[in-house]
Amino acid sequence: MATPGFAGKILLVNLTTKQISALDSAKYEAYGGGHGTATAVFWDLCVAPGGWDLRDAFDPRNIVAFMTGPLAGTGVAFTARTSVSGLAPQTWPVNWFGHSNFGGNFAPMLKFAGWDGVVVQGKSDSPVYIDIIDDKVTIEDAKSLWGLNVWETQEEIWKRESIKAPVRYGSEWQKLGDRYTTQRPAIVTIGPAGENKSRIAALIHGGGSGAGQGGFGGVFGSKNLKAIAVVGTGGIKVFDPRGVLEAREWFEAEFPMSGQRGPGRDLKPGVSCCMGCNRGCHSRIQIRGVDSDSCTEMIWANLPSPPYKRTSTSDMWKATDLVQKLGLNASDLCFMGAASFTSLPGTEIGSICPANTGAGWYIKKLYDMGVIGPGKKVDTYPLPMDQYEDIEFAEILALSIAQRIGIGDLLADGIVRFAEKIGRIGDLNNILRLPAWGYMDHWTMPTVEWAYGNLVDSRDINNHDMQLGPTKLMPCEKYVQLLASSSPPYSDDPFMFDYSWQGEQAYKTGIYSDHKAKFVAWHQHYATYYKESALFCDWAMGNYFNPSNPDGKGATPIAEPRFLNAVTGRGQSFVDGIETGRRAWNMKRAIFVLQGRTREIEKFAGYMYRRGASMANFGTMLPVYDGSNWEWANCRELYLDEEGVEHWKTAFYKTEGWDAETGYPKRKTLEDLGMKHVADVLEANNKLGSA
Amino acid sequence: MEEEFMAEEKKREKAKYTRRDFVRGGGTILAGGTFAAYVSDTALAAASDQPAEKQTYARSSAYLVYDSRRCSGCQSCMLACSLVHEGEANLSLSRIQVSRAVLASYPYDIQISVCRQCPDPLCVKNCPTGACHVSEANGNVRMIDAEKCIGCQACIKACPYHPHRTVWNPATKKSSKCDLCANAPYFNKKGGASGSQACVSVCPMGALKLVKGLPPQADISGYDVDLEPPPSEVPTDGEPKAKFEITGS
Repeated sequence: MATPGFAGKILLVNLTTKQISALDSAKYEAYGGGHGTATAVFWDLCVAPGGWDLRDAFDPRNIVAFMTGPLAGTGVAFTARTSVSGLAPQTWPVNWFGHSNFGGNFAPMLKFAGWDGVVVQGKSDSPVYIDIIDDKVTIEDAKSLWGLNVWETQEEIWKRESIKAPVRYGSEWQKLGDRYTTQRPAIVTIGPAGENKSRIAALIHGGGSGAGQGGFGGVFGSKNLKAIAVVGTGGIKVFDPRGVLEAREWFEAEFPMSGQRGPGRDLKPGVSCCMGCNRGCHSRIQIRGVDSDSCTEMIWANLPSPPYKRTSTSDMWKATDLVQKLGLNASDLCFMGAASFTSLPGTEIGSICPANTGAGWYIKKLYDMGVIGPGKKVDTYPLPMDQYEDIEFAEILALSIAQRIGIGDLLADGIVRFAEKIGRIGDLNNILRLPAWGYMDHWTMPTVEWAYGNLVDSRDINNHDMQLGPTKLMPCEKYVQLLASSSPPYSDDPFMFDYSWQGEQAYKTGIYSDHKAKFVAWHQHYATYYKESALFCDWAMGNYFNPSNPDGKGATPIAEPRFLNAVTGRGQSFVDGIETGRRAWNMKRAIFVLQGRTREIEKFAGYMYRRGASMANFGTMLPVYDGSNWEWANCRELYLDEEGVEHWKTAFYKTEGWDAETGYPKRKTLEDLGMKHVADVLEANNKLGSA
Repeated sequence: MEEEFMAEEKKREKAKYTRRDFVRGGGTILAGGTFAAYVSDTALAAASDQPAEKQTYARSSAYLVYDSRRCSGCQSCMLACSLVHEGEANLSLSRIQVSRAVLASYPYDIQISVCRQCPDPLCVKNCPTGACHVSEANGNVRMIDAEKCIGCQACIKACPYHPHRTVWNPATKKSSKCDLCANAPYFNKKGGASGSQACVSVCPMGALKLVKGLPPQADISGYDVDLEPPPSEVPTDGEPKAKFEITGS
């Protein structure tokens, strides 16, 4: 019998052989579900068999794994997320093993259907979609769906499924075998961008839940896979039903201001939630696009104002809906991103520094520099450069990328590959702000754990938990002690939160120190398990500080195990979860290493080592220790020192139990985590760290 | 497309209610709020295929109403309902049903179906064993006694609403229905008409509420109420909604 919270089996669909089978979830339980389990499944299906270099995400041997966590669909809020894993075509220069996740109701529905996940292998010889109705799984023809946008595809599948069924889905009890449901199938699908194997193609579910990072929409396209539809009529066992609801009420009472919601942000009619959630990040009414989650897809086409005119709300709707329908990762398209800032004087970015230097911003910059345009080596066709301020420009940009028309064909492979193809990769030293592996700057700096996380992981880690700190709301020393208390097993080390970045202190306790190495390791272990495997939503957890409590105490590290234990009954501690994350993280490191990751290539883009690397006006007040006192300090000038980063890397590798010279995991580290089989493969490939 | 469909569904629902409930329902006064309807026994007897004998039922002392515009579609109510009654999270066993069409326009994107604790409960009336009954001990809530249920599904067939509010459990081969949590073995609170309800407790939007007065019975909108005035930015479809008023029972 499956552990409560888990369905017990993982669906495996091979599109080449059309074979449909199941994996036993229990075999992977030590990896925690979600991305952790997907990492172990990837190891078994893609790494262990050997025979390929694991570097091409469009190779049919790559998998795309959709995994749920133990909490999805159980009534625990902010956990209805679906993890997506596999080789990611967006990462540059190597398609590192990567991940993304999305909300909505796909994960709960998959579990109601009896599956902890669905893993797709191989490549179909013609367009198909996978149809899951409880334990009945079929591979359906999708030729007539190919070419439809994301919303049209879902409508069409609902219509098709309803034709096959006694009554139309969603309006009446639908009889499925001896069971019934009133629910429509949950669908994840691609639009034209994915079909055209864009490396910035997103997977979209519903109106606007999406997995953008990684370009997994392109993987769908490479497999001739249009969509996965699932409807489930079963139940999810939980260990302690009363405990689940008690924990939920306790959390709401004690930590109301976590994440997106809190006093002054009480939920208003018109918001929409993922299944079981109470954060209200999405929208029912079109105040920010149909079912958009109010993130980058909402503001990707906004222009810095001044100098440009302010983007109207109706234009924002248009832009939001457009990228959802086309299935594009909005982050790579940005004209500005969430905000723009006055740049530090003397930096090459110009007087205005956008939060995201995406395609919308970069092509205008190059055009103004006279690098691209009509008659140039790289034409801007079909973009109407003289209409840059109009929403039509953004629409043509998105459409040209999704359809690979003109300059859109180059941009469809992502902004970093675009720069590389036109001979401008040197822009990473100044104006093109992609800190690592070709992913867009986000709030990467000056909160260096975000930057370091990007470097040692394979994407923009997108963990907002530290970035949402309280700045001056309490004395600095009290704040760092509070953060430390939220970080077991390292609760005795407040220097993990020191952002000293100049002089000797940076090496002693600051951003190049052993303390920062320890915190980044903890932060990655936390994220790997709690955010990506147990799949707590980043908008809610971790919660290291909470202004709704007089002492500022956040929900972490109490809430996570309370929710998990109510559902699974395993009696795990918070640190048990950190250790589960460390296990999956080390397996992922082993995959990176087999793909070619070394210490030498773990380097930031050049601009990170230069003045102007930090966001100049946002989140810059950070704790700094001067050797005797803690002070809040404005770190807007913070940038990295190459020698300092190398020093930090040595400390980080040692903290992780990896070889400091190569970055390869050591046998003892892997065996202590129960992964002798991983150590054996690394050794056979001469990539095991020296003892 | 979904928007049109949902609008059609609501029309169909109204039409069906009017036809079936007035034809098969007993001769009780359907009253509440600002609306009252009366159907004479003679008229019913002429139109109905049921016996003409008049049978009245004590009204439930409480009713679950909802605000479909306020709902966020999270379905926490469904998960909570199945958790407290069945001990597992199971949409198909939830006694409140929320169906979403995320691509349809507001407010046609969410359809909520709650048991109306009908004044003239056809589920009770048609149950051959008395399993489905009016529970005097629980504020006259219409409840199903699982011990007495023989799985004939008469209560499911009798429910005039779409989707039917009585719920079939394929594992136990028995019916269940909303009891306002009067018999919720996994609930950590006192439930029932004078207690708490898991769905109301868990709703983050305040979109569910237990009220004492019988809501308007004219059509399905009687239980779909404005629990709070919508903010100005929320568009309306031009159709006035019923305002809930405490009317007494």
